[in-house]
Amino acid sequence: MRRHTIGIIILAGLFLTAGLLQAGAPTEKRLLLKNGHILPVTGPGFDGDILIVGTKIAKLGPGLAAEPGTEVIDLKGQWVMPGIIDSHSHIALEGSVNEMGDLITAEVDCLDILNPEDINIYYALTGGVTTIHTMHGSANPIGGKGIVLKLKWGASAADMVFAGAPRTIKWALGENPKQSNSYGIGKPRYPRSRMGVEASIRVEFEAAKDYMKAWQTYDQKVKAAQGKKDAVLPLPPRKDYRLEAIADILRGKYWIRCHAYQAEEMEAIIRLCKEYGVKLACFEHGLEGYRITNELAANHVAVSTFADFWAYKWEAYNTMPQSAALMARRGVLVGLNSDDAERMRRLFFDAAKTVRFGGLTETEALKTITINPAIILGVDRWTGSLEAGKDADIAVFSRHPLDPYTVCQMTIVDGKVYFDRAKYLDERAKAEEAKKKSAEAPKLKDKKD
Amino acid sequence: MKKIIVFVILAVALAVMLFAAPNGGDEPRVILIKNATIFPIVGDKIDQGQLLIQDGKIAALGKSVTAPEGALVIDAAGLSVYPGIIDAFSHYGLSEIGAIGSTVDMREMGKENPELHASWAINPGSVHFGTGRVNGTTSALVAPVGGTFPGIAALVRMDGWTVPEMTIKDSAASLINFPMTPRSSGAESVSQQQESKVDVTSKLVDKIRDTLKEARRYLQLKKAAAADPKLTAPAVNEKYEALAPVLDGTLPVIISVEKDKDIELAIKFTQEEKLKAIFRGCEQGYKVADKIKKAGIPVIIDSLYTGPTDPEDGYDAPFRNPGELVKAGVTICFSSGDDPSAGKDIVYHAARAVAFGLDHEEALKALTINTARVLGIDNRLGSLEVGKDADLFITSGDPLDPKSDVKHMFIAGRHIDMKNYWETLYEKYKARPIR
Repeated sequence: MRRHTIGIIILAGLFLTAGLLQAGAPTEKRLLLKNGHILPVTGPGFDGDILIVGTKIAKLGPGLAAEPGTEVIDLKGQWVMPGIIDSHSHIALEGSVNEMGDLITAEVDCLDILNPEDINIYYALTGGVTTIHTMHGSANPIGGKGIVLKLKWGASAADMVFAGAPRTIKWALGENPKQSNSYGIGKPRYPRSRMGVEASIRVEFEAAKDYMKAWQTYDQKVKAAQGKKDAVLPLPPRKDYRLEAIADILRGKYWIRCHAYQAEEMEAIIRLCKEYGVKLACFEHGLEGYRITNELAANHVAVSTFADFWAYKWEAYNTMPQSAALMARRGVLVGLNSDDAERMRRLFFDAAKTVRFGGLTETEALKTITINPAIILGVDRWTGSLEAGKDADIAVFSRHPLDPYTVCQMTIVDGKVYFDRAKYLDERAKAEEAKKKSAEAPKLKDKKD
Repeated sequence: MKKIIVFVILAVALAVMLFAAPNGGDEPRVILIKNATIFPIVGDKIDQGQLLIQDGKIAALGKSVTAPEGALVIDAAGLSVYPGIIDAFSHYGLSEIGAIGSTVDMREMGKENPELHASWAINPGSVHFGTGRVNGTTSALVAPVGGTFPGIAALVRMDGWTVPEMTIKDSAASLINFPMTPRSSGAESVSQQQESKVDVTSKLVDKIRDTLKEARRYLQLKKAAAADPKLTAPAVNEKYEALAPVLDGTLPVIISVEKDKDIELAIKFTQEEKLKAIFRGCEQGYKVADKIKKAGIPVIIDSLYTGPTDPEDGYDAPFRNPGELVKAGVTICFSSGDDPSAGKDIVYHAARAVAFGLDHEEALKALTINTARVLGIDNRLGSLEVGKDADLFITSGDPLDPKSDVKHMFIAGRHIDMKNYWETLYEKYKARPIR
């Protein structure tokens, strides 16, 4: 009897598992975007459809069939591009993005202050942005760690973190670390010159090398003592979180994102990074990058820059809106960034400027806000273009995204619609209607105390 | 003899130096633009048209204008001609590099400086005049910003050797920063308002009224003293003198105001004080558009690089605002906003407004003729009409499209060299050999 019961339980269990397994595949959500002008960015554009299964793009092409259970959105000839990627921003962070308290602050981490409820995440979605890199500020030669996020508005901070994206560390050169524009605020500190900025990075690297050596020696001594009977274990060196982070840079754990404007300081830091064998992924802003395109291209250092934001300080004065295009045409990997919650919503418009200023083709222009920043961030395996197998990160526009009158209509992240303008307009109309009604309704008299 | 030759050469050289216009442009002469699509803004579009410039003015335009002998002929086949854009609110020549105080002259100490003239500090050599021209701007209102009464704005051309040469109207408008929640450009701060139950805005408005009242009293005393030798005239007060044309309604006053409630308050203030008002900003203007229309007050739209005043307004509130105002019948003008380094972006703001509902033709008017009318200069600027100043540009496409390229520009008939600071850098660095 007992055996019988166990048998039944096992059998039932098997059936249940099989049922669940079978149900697993079809319950993965299928979404078909039909009748769009598709701009995959990495390949030629076409008129047709995109099938999304779960979080991924399953298929692209004309006339894709919708299996039963597939949700279909008719795009009616609207334009479809990969979700826009902003590789330099400071949104979704709670509080100050600059640790001003010290010169080197490599131990601090933006991951610790993520704020998934920042309204700017939603605003970014209204401009077609799906992925951002949110970063520490530029007050320190070596600042804190940055993080790549997917803008899943409404999800938790942990769920927004882009799985698999390399971690980054912010460096900064020039006016901000030397505090040129904040004289009189607080106590002056070293460095006050661009020479001092570079020196402070070297000093820290040397300290980190000593620190690593100390730990290595300790580890060796511990190892040597193992198994020996009367061995006296050595005392471990003092744990230093800051030097630990610097050591991690030397170990290649972080991609360096270096805020810099002027050409000569960029060149100097390229040499420094070569000397220490660390990965300098990208210059942030790099408004004079057009002067050293040979050097940037030869050393595979990208530039994440503005389309035409300039002249707000001295180091941002010696530039031109042709800079991004000129760098791109001369072989530098160039991405356009916002550095600003408001600008983030119009990166597609900024991309259009590179067509006139510097003569990029429309596809090259679109790359500066999609696949290029994806490569800069090391996430191009998953996002930055419309290709089968990639994450379904998609932006839908009313017109060609470089048309001056285009409006973002829909933004999809990992296969889920996070912004839908039609729905927004509907809700706005309802809210206005409700407000009108409440204004017309007889008012209750104020209670007087 | 030798001495005479040297003298002649020197004299010729001097003459050349004197008559060569700034930025390498030519002196006014006879120019015919032909085969162009002409958008006069006032009047119908002319396909395959010609436009004749003579003595700095538009001498003729139409389908059968021929070039007088010796005229410079510009074949504008495939290109379009528009009247020059008038930037309705800028700081050209008052700010070079934002972070460097010595290059910034927009803001004076104190709250009441109605006597300050922007024209006293405009730097005609600012690079931003050249870069600001790239999208078609030929003239701009240059305004100071600080305090409650920042001073007097000047209307200037985007080209000229000296300020007087550039100036179209030295006193184009006076300014009042109406009390409101803080904005970037010198508005009175009432951030404490939220915490305290006191109506800070009204109190600050009362303060403005007091100043105007004092100015009126001063002017009355002065007038009385002039009529009656027994009376002593008050000591000259430059501030009140500067407010005289504001108080008698001859000089328009630009009132910066943002929120719907403040706009209503500003309308009441304007009517009671009998001012010739122009509003600037009005981000929540669409909520009280009918009231603005009824008051007959035009609105200068500020930079649209902004989020909604209140998140409840919806993310696109600033972008749809211009369209909604126009639908209600309000006259609007575009402006480039706070920083002359972004002066060229005036057309980008217009494009954004069109994307969110503003009629394209209305957008073009808001860049040209509307501003000319509001500033009382439509007899000279704002459209392509015979007799008006030859302030115009020739472009490859829609002026609102960031992909369009302005090929030629004329300011008061002078052919402007479009090569600016950016172009100089571009030419130099694109020539560096690629290794």
